[in-house]
Amino acid sequence: MELAKETPRIRGMEKTLWVGLCLPSLLVLGFAFLYPLLASIWSSIIHEGNFSLVHYSRVYKLYRQDVIFTLGVAVSGLVLVLLVGLPVCGYLRLRTFRTVEFLLKVPLFVPFVVVGHAMRVFLSPHGTLNGLLLLAGILDPQHPPSLASSWIGLAIALAWKHLGLAALLFMGAFRAVDEAYLEAAQNFGSGILRQTKDILIPMAAPSIAVACVLVFASMLASFSIPLMMGRGSGPQMLMIDVYYRFGQHGDYATAGALGVVAYLMASGAAFVYLRNLVR
Amino acid sequence: MNGMDITKRKTLRLAGRLIVLTLFLFAIVGPLSSLVIWSLAERWNWPAGFPQVIGLKYWAQMLTGDFLVPLRRGVFIAGVVTVLSLFLAVPLGYALARLRFPGRIAILLAFLLPQAFPQLPVFASATREFYRVGLAGTLPGVILIHLVGALVFAVWTMTAVFRSIPEPLEEAAMNLGASLTRSFTTVSLPLAFPGILASALLVFLYSLDEFTGTLLVGAPFITTLPVYMYTASIGYELQVASMTALVLMVPGAMLLLLLERFLKAEYLAFLGQL
Repeated sequence: MELAKETPRIRGMEKTLWVGLCLPSLLVLGFAFLYPLLASIWSSIIHEGNFSLVHYSRVYKLYRQDVIFTLGVAVSGLVLVLLVGLPVCGYLRLRTFRTVEFLLKVPLFVPFVVVGHAMRVFLSPHGTLNGLLLLAGILDPQHPPSLASSWIGLAIALAWKHLGLAALLFMGAFRAVDEAYLEAAQNFGSGILRQTKDILIPMAAPSIAVACVLVFASMLASFSIPLMMGRGSGPQMLMIDVYYRFGQHGDYATAGALGVVAYLMASGAAFVYLRNLVR
Repeated sequence: MNGMDITKRKTLRLAGRLIVLTLFLFAIVGPLSSLVIWSLAERWNWPAGFPQVIGLKYWAQMLTGDFLVPLRRGVFIAGVVTVLSLFLAVPLGYALARLRFPGRIAILLAFLLPQAFPQLPVFASATREFYRVGLAGTLPGVILIHLVGALVFAVWTMTAVFRSIPEPLEEAAMNLGASLTRSFTTVSLPLAFPGILASALLVFLYSLDEFTGTLLVGAPFITTLPVYMYTASIGYELQVASMTALVLMVPGAMLLLLLERFLKAEYLAFLGQL
């Protein structure tokens, strides 16, 4: 029995074959991701051949507000996801409601770019939502509100897209909670809200935390949704800044520094994510 | 008295469910149905709650080269990316699942980075490197940048799939004298077929919907449907963009219905990153 547990041994030709089979994936990752990652970090700390933080001081001068804006949008988006996702998933754990369960999954299968464009035509001043409000007679056609280009619209769009993933993770965590605890609470007469708040959420807290981290990091790094929705003026999402620094100014150093700021914000989140995945 | 209470409660509960259902239908279907309305709006002048002229004019554009070229190109790229990433990920996934070697965990984690880290700054930097070697604006360049993201799904799903195949089956083959390679090709590989198929679907869908890498690396010569939609949208051709968006939703919708019927829920978690 002990012998069977041993790792299969490979030698000689066979070893060369397997190393040869595994190497190309690592080369692709190295050439098209790891090397560019390091190169962007490197270019952000070099100025005219010397180490310098000049690119970071430019980021501080020009993009301070955008960093705060990005954090604000990501936090609001996450709060929206939690406010909608947790009670609904709690309900779905305790009762069945097939249609809502299905609807919750839909955003998972709609590509990011499509969500961005759909939210733009839905929330823009002359969009479908305002059209609907106009038909209902509760909108002043001279001054239609533009949710699409506001931070609220952005947070709503990001929350919409991420609700699918979050709900999937919440449901998984809630399903893992032992029925006995819930039955005990029911015997004492507690309702759905009470059971969700006092049993499901506390017992699923670690998984909920991982879900939050994932959603938060993804919202910070979102590019296609804010790009599609567009913002005329005011602070921008960080990834939009990176795109314009790189594309319009050809300024790799500042784009790199902005990137590092984003990595730092996301890596705190990623750290928790990785630790939980490996475990 | 008690009976009245129960019927009252039941009505309340039913009303609550109806309200939740209506809200969800509105919130989820609302933005998506906007795409349908916009794709049909031949004339829509504000202020009007609904388009003045409705028609299929913009859907007719689907048959033009303008639309078919990026569609065909995107499908071709996705096909190549799927085949390549399976060739790359199947052996690596097997090695990561079965063999013990130094750096195994490090490799697994490295293959998470493209999804865990903000992609855009890295892809921007990669585009610069691609310019140096003449890959920017070319088909191989776009395939390569898609491959990086696709490998994340492929390597992780393949590792999970090979791990789920009972080891004793292979041990039996090896005890009878089969080499590792032989037991892999005759035992594990056939058993992993459904998993490989699922992985291929994920990768194909990822590549078809990929936007960031294509926009950066492909510009200005390689256009796929997401980039075509973006170009239409910033040019205020909202109808063309909405029609393209609806077409882009088709594969995802098909996968959703397929998974609802046939596949396990675990694969779903990987989709959240698309």
